[in-house]
Amino acid sequence: MRRFSRLLWFACVAAALAPLPGRADGTAAKPRRIVSLNLCADELLVALADRAHIASLTYLARDPIGSTVAQAAAGIPVNYGLAEEIVPLAPDLVIAGTFTTRTTVRLLQRLGIPVLELSVPTTPEAAAAQIRAVADRIGEPQRGADLARQLETGLAALPSPPAQPPGAVVVRPNGFTAGSGSMADALIERAGLHNLARRHPTDRMGQWSVEEIVTAQPDVLITDAAPGAPPSLAQEVLRHPALVASTARRVSVPGRLWACAGPELVDAARLLADGARADLP
Amino acid sequence: MSRSHRWLIPGLGLLVAVLLLGSLAIGYAPLDLKAALGDVLAGRQSLPALVLLQLRLPRALLGAAVGFSLGLTGAAMQGLMRNPLADPGIVGVSGAAALGAVIAFYSGFANAFALALPLGGLTGAAVATALLLALARRGGGTTLLILAGVALNSLCGALTALALNLSPSPYAALEIVFWLMGSLADRSLDHVALALPFMVVGWGLVLATARGLDALTLGEDTAASLGIPLRRLRLLVIGGTAAAVGASVAVAGAIGFVGLVVPHLLRPLVGHRPGRLLLASGLGGAALTLAADIALRLLPIRPELKLGVVTALIGAPFFLALLWRLRREAE
Repeated sequence: MRRFSRLLWFACVAAALAPLPGRADGTAAKPRRIVSLNLCADELLVALADRAHIASLTYLARDPIGSTVAQAAAGIPVNYGLAEEIVPLAPDLVIAGTFTTRTTVRLLQRLGIPVLELSVPTTPEAAAAQIRAVADRIGEPQRGADLARQLETGLAALPSPPAQPPGAVVVRPNGFTAGSGSMADALIERAGLHNLARRHPTDRMGQWSVEEIVTAQPDVLITDAAPGAPPSLAQEVLRHPALVASTARRVSVPGRLWACAGPELVDAARLLADGARADLP
Repeated sequence: MSRSHRWLIPGLGLLVAVLLLGSLAIGYAPLDLKAALGDVLAGRQSLPALVLLQLRLPRALLGAAVGFSLGLTGAAMQGLMRNPLADPGIVGVSGAAALGAVIAFYSGFANAFALALPLGGLTGAAVATALLLALARRGGGTTLLILAGVALNSLCGALTALALNLSPSPYAALEIVFWLMGSLADRSLDHVALALPFMVVGWGLVLATARGLDALTLGEDTAASLGIPLRRLRLLVIGGTAAAVGASVAVAGAIGFVGLVVPHLLRPLVGHRPGRLLLASGLGGAALTLAADIALRLLPIRPELKLGVVTALIGAPFFLALLWRLRREAE
């Protein structure tokens, strides 16, 4: 029974793939029907690929709070990461994240669809390398080199760090903080702050209780409170009276600025660098 | 029997006081309790004072108040329905309160009008309690009540999950666990101020039913002939349970099994009199909840367990044993 349904599934998939023109030419050529299964890939595709070559982005790309390309993504079809949506699009390249939509990715690979998996870069250098790698894969090396250079020169232009870097803690919804080895940590140190979460080992999820945040005595609290966000317990942590009473300076960095490899990392670093110097002589 | 009763209430009171202190002393960062207390009393805005006043104190107070509410209302519901399995968690009162609170919170209503949160919980709990009582009064015994309660509980759980899935917040779906399992993590004095008045009113209403519940053990007709106004008695239990459980769930989520386990443990110690059981069970509930909340902070598991996980680990085997015994008695 199970084998039969699997056969049926492959038959349907084969039928969907059959009328593809030019598939026999191989996939080494510049891909023309690119599908993204990951928000960071969405942002890179919008920046690097010709619009006509983007077959589909994730539905997250249109969310103005989480995505840096919400406006540009408005006219492009979206998917929810389901194989059934992706296969009929007959993509010649699918870009996915290493951790998400695993079932879909495995199925697409079994069907012979080329999948490029993006890791989560934890340093600006890795981010620049990822930009170049994606650009090369989609046949736009020049655009990739330009974008990566924009990131590198932007970070190089940051002011030099103060002699006594102020201590900072990132407080995200749900009490998530940024420990060592994360992109946020790298940017915080690059911007001239000292990430206090390095001192404490965080738990597996990287969460800190309000008690831990308060007793770390940060000079700067880096929050990601999106004004006008819908109510949730996660956001309530940021409004806890013990945090509100803390005298730490507040720097708000929207999560979309430092979630992915892209030139927006420079914007995040600049916000942090301004926060590091707000009341220094 | 009366001798042990005399010492029971002060003994339980002392236990709750000790656990309250323990809850203040235990946390995620080392804290010099004496220095912190000195700073608080002297009005100094020091870091230890902040941690004690804004983080440890609300958690301890809520643990005690929520536990008291659950223990007390569990005893009252078991007395009123004359059913050993009636417990706000099992028969869906907590679930309905969570649904009410979830609707008030995620609709943004509670942002505009803070009291909407406990009032939402209260409304949910009141509807569920009234519904269950109506069922219990029509007869059908334990089985019908439990089945109806289980159905109500899963319905409310499903509707809570649905409401959260429909909420526009990306975090809402993850927060189902909080509402279904309960937690006291990162609560604040605002939550205490919001919920405690409703809870105190609820406790008053329920504690006023002690004499009536004692009389009710003789049956409804006899109780009525003794001059107990049954209608008023039922309204007091429904109103009191709704206020106490509704407000508890609105700030701490639905914590299960406290209202089931505690009355059963203490019933033999009060001579099986439901009236006397009320206060004892409330204090016992406070002690159990505080102890569970201390235990999960001492466990090296992070992110910390939900409070309902710990109470269920204690309560569920107990519940099964109880069902087993009831079945044996029925045979």
